[in-house]
Amino acid sequence: MSRLLSRRDFTRLASGLAGTWLLAGCGTSGQPAKARVVVVGGGFGGATAAKYVRLLDPGIAVTLVEPSRRFVTCPASNAVLAGLKRIDDLAQDYRELSDRHGVNVVHDTVASIDPDKRSLTLAGGNTLAYDRLIVAPGIDFRRNAIERYDDATAQRMPHAWKAGDETVLLRRQLEAMDDGGLFIISAPPTPYRCPPGPYERASLVAYYFKHAKPRSKILILDAKDQFPEQGLFEDGWKSLYAGMIEWVPLSQDGRVTEVRPDEMTVISEFGEPHKASVINLIPPQQAGKIARDAGLVNQTGWCPIDPMTCESTIHKEIYVIGDAALAGAMPKGAFAANTQAKVAALAIVNALAGRAPAAPTYLSSCYSLVAPDYGLSVIDVFRATPQGIVSVPGAGGASPRRGDPGLRAQEARYAESWYQSITDEIWHS
Amino acid sequence: MVRPRSGIMICLCGMMLLMAASRSPAFPQNANPQLLAMSCAGCHGPNGHSPSMIPSLYGRTAASIAESLRGYRADRTPSTVMGRIAKGYSDAEIDSVAQAIAADWK
Repeated sequence: MSRLLSRRDFTRLASGLAGTWLLAGCGTSGQPAKARVVVVGGGFGGATAAKYVRLLDPGIAVTLVEPSRRFVTCPASNAVLAGLKRIDDLAQDYRELSDRHGVNVVHDTVASIDPDKRSLTLAGGNTLAYDRLIVAPGIDFRRNAIERYDDATAQRMPHAWKAGDETVLLRRQLEAMDDGGLFIISAPPTPYRCPPGPYERASLVAYYFKHAKPRSKILILDAKDQFPEQGLFEDGWKSLYAGMIEWVPLSQDGRVTEVRPDEMTVISEFGEPHKASVINLIPPQQAGKIARDAGLVNQTGWCPIDPMTCESTIHKEIYVIGDAALAGAMPKGAFAANTQAKVAALAIVNALAGRAPAAPTYLSSCYSLVAPDYGLSVIDVFRATPQGIVSVPGAGGASPRRGDPGLRAQEARYAESWYQSITDEIWHS
Repeated sequence: MVRPRSGIMICLCGMMLLMAASRSPAFPQNANPQLLAMSCAGCHGPNGHSPSMIPSLYGRTAASIAESLRGYRADRTPSTVMGRIAKGYSDAEIDSVAQAIAADWK
């Protein structure tokens, strides 16, 4: 009795044949060689990607290289500055990724990547070979963009734009500040990590000042002429912190170009000195060092990627996700990195199995607090097009301008839920 | 002379029908349902088990998820962010993500 080969039979047959071929290819090991995926960086992008490659194909060996045993999230770190959270509340670790998902977590720094040999060398001396590499190093600062900015400056005027010790340092400086002092935030030019971040920071520090040091003021010196959710933030500042926050845009000499750490002074473009009690200098940004060293960046300082897969357009078989990627209309943020990681993970699993790529979808969901009970959100839905990753017209957008206090309180609760959910999805489940 | 014109007319009508069938802007492909469901997991939790006050999605039928998404998209159902999200997807995508979630998240 003859019948047509069903699709299932065909798949079984094809995988059997592939298995035989692989067995023949690897001699006496008795098992087909496992495909190897290495992920560099264990933040929102990298940790998500490592987990999802394993979930989508447990037959792939995944190694995650991340220097820290403890990862402190940037999301919610402004709440630490306001005294609303402790830094330990934001600490994540890699136990679930290794114990539950079988990711080989290596705590080391990547010294170099060799795209031709498909291998990378760790600072500890070990070499790791890969079939596909995911690079998720986050951001670095353009130190030479501000005159006299160096490591010592970062201690006097912390950026606190990578959460951790600098966040704690800035919190201590704010606590030590006298009532009536001036706090300056120097906000960077676009693109940078977490577009609404500097303005949430101003808001939550104002919340702290209002209760602890009500005569104090905040000055935002900005390298831009507008900022995300500007009307919403300004409405919030007017109603909660009247007279406390002043914003100076680029066109009114807002861009800081020089620092004098010993005098606690920053100098703006046209030579105006601004002296303050505490200064949070957030420098202009670029892709993380390893991405630059590996030649994954273009003239912008960020990594160009294929919008369909997040694969680097410079080095094949290397995927760049998260803040380091040049991802069209997508903001640099945790949720964006999380969805890019899922696109890259599925693209890699499909490529290794010889399947066609899946049509991607990207999302960004970002919450900011103006006060603990006053939340704002901005959403964007994205598509991959031949022109790059674009925002879907008619979808997304920010919270309504005419929101009542009930809506703001509800969004503040959802901000907390968002944090719980995304950190749980990546590090705790 | 008549044939090519009517051919164009048929083509145009076909395109209009296609555009009417899909309410979201024309993108070449519908997004992969598995990736759509994976995006939802960022807020609604792994396999739809939410650890926070964001609603869980596990155990819901495909019909009920699709109906909720259409309600948000049309602003019939009030929401904070779901209306802004649902407006980014076509009917076909709403149905496919609802089916993927109902089938895989248990």
